[in-house]
Amino acid sequence: MLSDPNSSEPNYLRRGFLDALILVIPAIPFALVFGLAVRESGVAIWLGWSSSPIMFSGAAQITLITLLGEGASIAAAATAALVVGARHLFYSFSMAPVMQRQPSWFRWFAPYMLVDQVFALCVGKQDLPAADFRRYYLAAGMTFWIFWMTFTALGLFVGPVLPPGLDITFATPVLFMGLLVTTIDSWQKAAVAVFAMGVTFLLADMPSRSGLLVAALAGLVLGLVLERFRR
Amino acid sequence: MMILLTIFMMGLGSYAMRAVFILLLSNRSFPPSALKALEYVGPAVMAALVMTMLLSPEGGSAPGVNEWAGLVTAAVVALVTRNHIYVLTLAMAVYWGVGYLV
Repeated sequence: MLSDPNSSEPNYLRRGFLDALILVIPAIPFALVFGLAVRESGVAIWLGWSSSPIMFSGAAQITLITLLGEGASIAAAATAALVVGARHLFYSFSMAPVMQRQPSWFRWFAPYMLVDQVFALCVGKQDLPAADFRRYYLAAGMTFWIFWMTFTALGLFVGPVLPPGLDITFATPVLFMGLLVTTIDSWQKAAVAVFAMGVTFLLADMPSRSGLLVAALAGLVLGLVLERFRR
Repeated sequence: MMILLTIFMMGLGSYAMRAVFILLLSNRSFPPSALKALEYVGPAVMAALVMTMLLSPEGGSAPGVNEWAGLVTAAVVALVTRNHIYVLTLAMAVYWGVGYLV
Protein backbone atom coordinates (compact mmCIF):
# COMPACT_ATOMS: atom_id res chain seq x y z
CA MET A 1 0.00 0.00 0.00
CA LEU A 2 2.98 2.28 0.50
CA SER A 3 4.38 1.35 -2.88
CA ASP A 4 3.19 2.98 -6.07
CA PRO A 5 -0.55 2.19 -6.21
CA ASN A 6 -0.55 2.36 -10.02
CA SER A 7 2.01 -0.37 -10.59
CA SER A 8 0.52 -3.84 -10.73
CA GLU A 9 3.07 -5.49 -8.45
CA PRO A 10 2.28 -9.20 -8.42
CA ASN A 11 5.00 -10.12 -5.96
CA TYR A 12 3.53 -9.59 -2.51
CA LEU A 13 6.67 -10.79 -0.71
CA ARG A 14 8.53 -7.90 -2.27
CA ARG A 15 5.74 -5.45 -1.58
CA GLY A 16 5.50 -6.45 2.06
CA PHE A 17 9.24 -6.04 2.43
CA LEU A 18 9.31 -2.59 0.81
CA ASP A 19 6.29 -1.30 2.71
CA ALA A 20 7.75 -2.48 6.02
CA LEU A 21 11.08 -0.90 5.17
CA ILE A 22 9.48 2.55 5.01
CA LEU A 23 8.05 2.00 8.50
CA VAL A 24 11.35 0.60 9.78
CA ILE A 25 13.30 3.80 9.23
CA PRO A 26 11.35 6.07 11.62
CA ALA A 27 11.39 3.27 14.21
CA ILE A 28 15.21 3.19 14.37
CA PRO A 29 15.53 5.84 17.12
CA PHE A 30 12.94 3.97 19.20
CA ALA A 31 14.91 0.71 18.91
CA LEU A 32 18.13 2.48 19.92
CA VAL A 33 16.39 4.14 22.86
CA PHE A 34 15.34 0.70 24.05
CA GLY A 35 19.00 -0.35 24.10
CA LEU A 36 19.79 2.70 26.18
CA ALA A 37 16.90 1.94 28.56
CA VAL A 38 18.32 -1.55 29.11
CA ARG A 39 21.77 -0.17 29.93
CA GLU A 40 20.38 2.42 32.34
CA SER A 41 18.09 -0.09 34.07
CA GLY A 42 20.93 -2.12 35.52
CA VAL A 43 19.38 -5.32 34.12
CA ALA A 44 22.05 -7.54 32.49
CA ILE A 45 22.20 -6.44 28.86
CA TRP A 46 21.73 -9.90 27.33
CA LEU A 47 18.75 -10.38 29.63
CA GLY A 48 17.24 -7.03 28.68
CA TRP A 49 17.76 -7.73 25.00
CA SER A 50 16.23 -11.22 25.30
CA SER A 51 12.88 -9.47 25.68
CA SER A 52 13.16 -8.52 21.98
CA PRO A 53 12.79 -12.06 20.61
CA ILE A 54 10.66 -13.26 23.54
CA MET A 55 8.14 -10.38 23.70
CA PHE A 56 8.67 -8.59 20.36
CA SER A 57 6.62 -5.64 21.63
CA GLY A 58 8.55 -2.37 21.73
CA ALA A 59 6.47 -0.18 24.02
CA ALA A 60 5.75 -3.05 26.43
CA GLN A 61 9.47 -3.95 26.55
CA ILE A 62 10.50 -0.39 27.37
CA THR A 63 7.81 -0.16 30.05
CA LEU A 64 8.89 -3.43 31.66
CA ILE A 65 12.64 -2.77 31.64
CA THR A 66 12.36 0.87 32.71
CA LEU A 67 10.07 0.09 35.64
CA LEU A 68 12.27 -2.82 36.76
CA GLY A 69 15.27 -0.49 36.59
CA GLU A 70 13.45 2.09 38.68
CA GLY A 71 12.99 -0.52 41.39
CA ALA A 72 9.29 -1.19 40.87
CA SER A 73 8.07 -4.59 41.97
CA ILE A 74 7.98 -7.29 39.30
CA ALA A 75 4.19 -7.47 39.62
CA ALA A 76 3.83 -3.71 39.09
CA ALA A 77 6.20 -3.64 36.10
CA ALA A 78 4.54 -6.67 34.49
CA THR A 79 1.05 -5.25 35.01
CA ALA A 80 1.98 -1.92 33.43
CA ALA A 81 3.62 -3.69 30.46
CA LEU A 82 0.55 -5.88 29.97
CA VAL A 83 -1.73 -2.83 29.95
CA VAL A 84 0.57 -1.15 27.41
CA GLY A 85 0.37 -4.28 25.25
CA ALA A 86 -3.37 -4.79 25.61
CA ARG A 87 -4.13 -2.94 22.35
CA HIS A 88 -3.02 -6.15 20.63
CA LEU A 89 -6.32 -7.69 21.73
CA PHE A 90 -8.01 -5.35 19.25
CA TYR A 91 -5.58 -6.36 16.50
CA SER A 92 -6.30 -10.03 17.17
CA PHE A 93 -10.05 -9.40 17.06
CA SER A 94 -9.80 -7.37 13.87
CA MET A 95 -7.65 -10.00 12.13
CA ALA A 96 -9.78 -13.01 13.16
CA PRO A 97 -11.94 -13.20 9.97
CA VAL A 98 -9.06 -12.88 7.48
CA MET A 99 -7.06 -15.50 9.41
CA GLN A 100 -9.88 -18.03 8.99
CA ARG A 101 -8.85 -18.42 5.37
CA GLN A 102 -5.23 -19.14 6.35
CA PRO A 103 -3.61 -22.52 7.07
CA SER A 104 -3.35 -23.50 10.69
CA TRP A 105 0.47 -23.07 10.92
CA PHE A 106 0.07 -19.46 9.86
CA ARG A 107 -2.72 -18.79 12.38
CA TRP A 108 -0.35 -19.94 15.14
CA PHE A 109 2.72 -18.16 13.81
CA ALA A 110 1.21 -14.86 12.63
CA PRO A 111 0.24 -13.52 16.09
CA TYR A 112 3.90 -13.54 17.15
CA MET A 113 4.55 -10.91 14.48
CA LEU A 114 1.38 -8.86 14.97
CA VAL A 115 3.12 -5.64 16.00
CA ASP A 116 1.68 -2.14 15.42
CA GLN A 117 3.37 -1.72 12.04
CA VAL A 118 2.33 -5.12 10.71
CA PHE A 119 -1.25 -4.51 11.80
CA ALA A 120 -1.27 -1.04 10.26
CA LEU A 121 -0.01 -2.41 6.95
CA CYS A 122 -2.18 -5.52 6.82
CA VAL A 123 -5.53 -4.27 8.16
CA GLY A 124 -6.24 -2.70 4.78
CA LYS A 125 -5.10 -5.79 2.87
CA GLN A 126 -7.84 -8.14 4.01
CA ASP A 127 -9.43 -8.36 0.56
CA LEU A 128 -6.31 -9.87 -1.01
CA PRO A 129 -6.35 -13.56 -2.02
CA ALA A 130 -5.32 -15.66 0.99
CA ALA A 131 -1.89 -16.62 -0.38
CA ASP A 132 -1.02 -13.02 -1.29
CA PHE A 133 -2.16 -11.77 2.10
CA ARG A 134 0.03 -14.38 3.77
CA ARG A 135 3.09 -13.47 1.69
CA TYR A 136 2.59 -9.79 2.34
CA TYR A 137 2.10 -10.33 6.09
CA LEU A 138 5.13 -12.66 6.39
CA ALA A 139 7.41 -10.33 4.45
CA ALA A 140 6.36 -7.30 6.48
CA GLY A 141 6.55 -9.22 9.77
CA MET A 142 9.95 -10.79 9.11
CA THR A 143 11.39 -7.47 7.92
CA PHE A 144 10.26 -5.80 11.09
CA TRP A 145 11.46 -8.70 13.23
CA ILE A 146 14.98 -8.68 11.80
CA PHE A 147 15.15 -4.92 12.17
CA TRP A 148 13.96 -4.99 15.79
CA MET A 149 16.43 -7.75 16.83
CA THR A 150 19.34 -6.00 15.15
CA PHE A 151 18.71 -2.44 16.23
CA THR A 152 17.73 -3.17 19.83
CA ALA A 153 21.04 -5.08 20.08
CA LEU A 154 22.90 -2.19 18.43
CA GLY A 155 21.30 0.21 20.89
CA LEU A 156 22.92 -1.67 23.78
CA PHE A 157 26.31 -0.55 22.56
CA VAL A 158 25.93 2.65 20.61
CA GLY A 159 23.00 4.36 22.35
CA PRO A 160 20.89 6.82 20.35
CA VAL A 161 23.46 7.97 17.81
CA LEU A 162 21.01 9.87 15.61
CA PRO A 163 21.27 13.64 15.97
CA PRO A 164 18.49 14.85 18.28
CA GLY A 165 17.67 17.72 15.87
CA LEU A 166 16.60 15.34 13.11
CA ASP A 167 13.27 14.20 14.44
CA ILE A 168 12.24 11.33 12.16
CA THR A 169 10.17 9.43 14.72
CA PHE A 170 7.15 11.56 13.82
CA ALA A 171 7.08 9.70 10.49
CA THR A 172 5.48 6.72 12.27
CA PRO A 173 2.25 8.52 13.32
CA VAL A 174 2.28 10.25 9.91
CA LEU A 175 2.36 6.95 8.02
CA PHE A 176 -0.15 5.36 10.40
CA MET A 177 -2.45 8.32 9.76
CA GLY A 178 -2.08 7.74 6.01
CA LEU A 179 -2.82 4.03 6.41
CA LEU A 180 -5.80 4.83 8.65
CA VAL A 181 -7.30 7.24 6.10
CA THR A 182 -6.99 4.73 3.27
CA THR A 183 -8.97 2.13 5.25
CA ILE A 184 -11.85 4.57 5.79
CA ASP A 185 -14.58 4.05 3.19
CA SER A 186 -17.65 5.50 4.90
CA TRP A 187 -18.57 8.54 6.94
CA GLN A 188 -19.33 6.22 9.83
CA LYS A 189 -15.72 5.01 9.93
CA ALA A 190 -14.45 8.57 9.65
CA ALA A 191 -16.62 9.58 12.60
CA VAL A 192 -15.36 6.59 14.59
CA ALA A 193 -11.72 7.52 13.90
CA VAL A 194 -12.17 11.18 14.85
CA PHE A 195 -14.09 10.19 17.98
CA ALA A 196 -11.44 7.66 19.05
CA MET A 197 -8.71 10.26 18.60
CA GLY A 198 -10.66 12.78 20.65
CA VAL A 199 -11.28 10.32 23.48
CA THR A 200 -7.58 9.33 23.53
CA PHE A 201 -6.65 13.00 23.72
CA LEU A 202 -9.01 13.62 26.63
CA LEU A 203 -7.75 10.53 28.48
CA ALA A 204 -4.06 11.38 28.02
CA ASP A 205 -3.48 11.32 31.77
CA MET A 206 -4.56 7.72 32.23
CA PRO A 207 -1.62 5.48 33.17
CA SER A 208 0.21 3.03 30.88
CA ARG A 209 -1.54 4.18 27.71
CA SER A 210 -4.81 2.75 29.00
CA GLY A 211 -6.65 5.71 27.47
CA LEU A 212 -6.02 4.05 24.12
CA LEU A 213 -8.03 1.00 25.20
CA VAL A 214 -10.99 3.02 26.42
CA ALA A 215 -10.91 5.15 23.26
CA ALA A 216 -10.78 2.16 20.91
CA LEU A 217 -13.72 0.55 22.74
CA ALA A 218 -15.65 3.82 22.69
CA GLY A 219 -14.96 4.12 18.94
CA LEU A 220 -16.20 0.58 18.36
CA VAL A 221 -19.41 1.28 20.28
CA LEU A 222 -19.99 4.47 18.28
CA GLY A 223 -19.45 2.48 15.08
CA LEU A 224 -22.15 -0.01 16.12
CA VAL A 225 -24.56 2.80 16.95
CA LEU A 226 -23.93 4.56 13.63
CA GLU A 227 -24.28 1.27 11.79
CA ARG A 228 -27.92 1.09 12.96
CA PHE A 229 -28.58 4.50 11.47
CA ARG A 230 -27.46 3.27 8.08
CA ARG A 231 -30.41 0.93 7.74
CA MET B 1 16.57 -15.48 37.30
CA MET B 2 13.36 -13.81 38.42
CA ILE B 3 13.79 -11.27 35.64
CA LEU B 4 14.28 -13.93 32.98
CA LEU B 5 11.16 -15.68 34.25
CA THR B 6 9.28 -12.38 34.15
CA ILE B 7 10.35 -11.74 30.57
CA PHE B 8 9.22 -15.24 29.60
CA MET B 9 5.83 -14.74 31.24
CA MET B 10 5.50 -11.39 29.47
CA GLY B 11 6.39 -13.08 26.19
CA LEU B 12 3.60 -15.59 26.76
CA GLY B 13 1.25 -12.75 27.66
CA SER B 14 2.19 -10.77 24.54
CA TYR B 15 1.62 -13.77 22.32
CA ALA B 16 -1.64 -14.68 24.06
CA MET B 17 -3.11 -11.20 23.57
CA ARG B 18 -2.26 -11.24 19.86
CA ALA B 19 -3.40 -14.81 19.29
CA VAL B 20 -6.53 -15.15 21.42
CA PHE B 21 -9.24 -14.09 18.96
CA ILE B 22 -7.40 -15.35 15.88
CA LEU B 23 -7.21 -18.85 17.35
CA LEU B 24 -10.49 -18.96 19.31
CA LEU B 25 -12.60 -17.67 16.44
CA SER B 26 -10.85 -19.68 13.73
CA ASN B 27 -13.75 -22.10 13.26
CA ARG B 28 -16.65 -19.83 14.05
CA SER B 29 -18.66 -18.43 11.21
CA PHE B 30 -19.21 -14.72 11.70
CA PRO B 31 -22.76 -13.48 11.22
CA PRO B 32 -22.86 -10.46 8.85
CA SER B 33 -23.59 -8.13 11.77
CA ALA B 34 -20.41 -9.25 13.56
CA LEU B 35 -18.34 -8.73 10.42
CA LYS B 36 -19.77 -5.21 10.16
CA ALA B 37 -18.78 -4.54 13.76
CA LEU B 38 -15.27 -5.84 13.14
CA GLU B 39 -14.80 -3.32 10.35
CA TYR B 40 -14.84 -0.56 12.96
CA VAL B 41 -12.11 -2.11 15.13
CA GLY B 42 -9.33 -1.16 12.72
CA PRO B 43 -10.20 2.55 12.37
CA ALA B 44 -10.97 2.90 16.10
CA VAL B 45 -7.74 1.35 17.39
CA MET B 46 -5.53 2.88 14.68
CA ALA B 47 -6.90 6.37 15.41
CA ALA B 48 -6.37 5.87 19.14
CA LEU B 49 -2.83 4.63 18.47
CA VAL B 50 -1.94 7.64 16.31
CA MET B 51 -3.12 10.01 19.04
CA THR B 52 -1.25 8.01 21.70
CA MET B 53 1.95 8.42 19.70
CA LEU B 54 1.50 12.19 19.73
CA LEU B 55 1.12 12.35 23.48
CA SER B 56 4.28 12.08 25.51
CA PRO B 57 4.96 8.66 27.09
CA GLU B 58 4.36 10.17 30.51
CA GLY B 59 0.93 11.32 29.35
CA GLY B 60 -0.57 14.73 29.68
CA SER B 61 1.44 16.84 27.27
CA ALA B 62 -0.59 18.05 24.29
CA PRO B 63 0.77 17.79 20.73
CA GLY B 64 2.39 20.97 19.40
CA VAL B 65 1.23 23.06 16.43
CA ASN B 66 3.78 21.36 14.15
CA GLU B 67 2.46 17.92 15.11
CA TRP B 68 -1.16 18.90 14.44
CA ALA B 69 -0.13 20.47 11.11
CA GLY B 70 1.80 17.36 10.07
CA LEU B 71 -1.04 15.06 11.05
CA VAL B 72 -3.72 17.05 9.19
CA THR B 73 -1.45 17.20 6.13
CA ALA B 74 -1.00 13.42 6.28
CA ALA B 75 -4.77 12.87 6.44
CA VAL B 76 -5.53 15.27 3.57
CA VAL B 77 -2.74 13.97 1.30
CA ALA B 78 -3.78 10.37 1.97
CA LEU B 79 -7.41 11.23 1.19
CA VAL B 80 -6.56 12.99 -2.08
CA THR B 81 -3.65 10.95 -3.47
CA ARG B 82 -3.83 7.58 -1.64
CA ASN B 83 -0.06 7.53 -2.16
CA HIS B 84 1.96 7.02 1.01
CA ILE B 85 5.20 8.33 -0.39
CA TYR B 86 3.45 11.69 -0.90
CA VAL B 87 1.96 11.40 2.58
CA LEU B 88 5.39 10.86 4.11
CA THR B 89 7.26 13.61 2.25
CA LEU B 90 4.58 16.32 2.42
CA ALA B 91 3.54 15.70 6.03
CA MET B 92 7.15 15.58 7.26
CA ALA B 93 7.97 18.75 5.28
CA VAL B 94 5.03 20.54 6.94
CA TYR B 95 5.97 19.13 10.36
CA TRP B 96 9.58 20.28 10.08
CA GLY B 97 8.66 23.58 8.38
CA VAL B 98 6.08 24.59 10.97
CA GLY B 99 8.39 23.42 13.75
CA TYR B 100 11.09 25.68 12.35
CA LEU B 101 8.73 28.68 12.13
CA VAL B 102 7.10 28.52 15.57
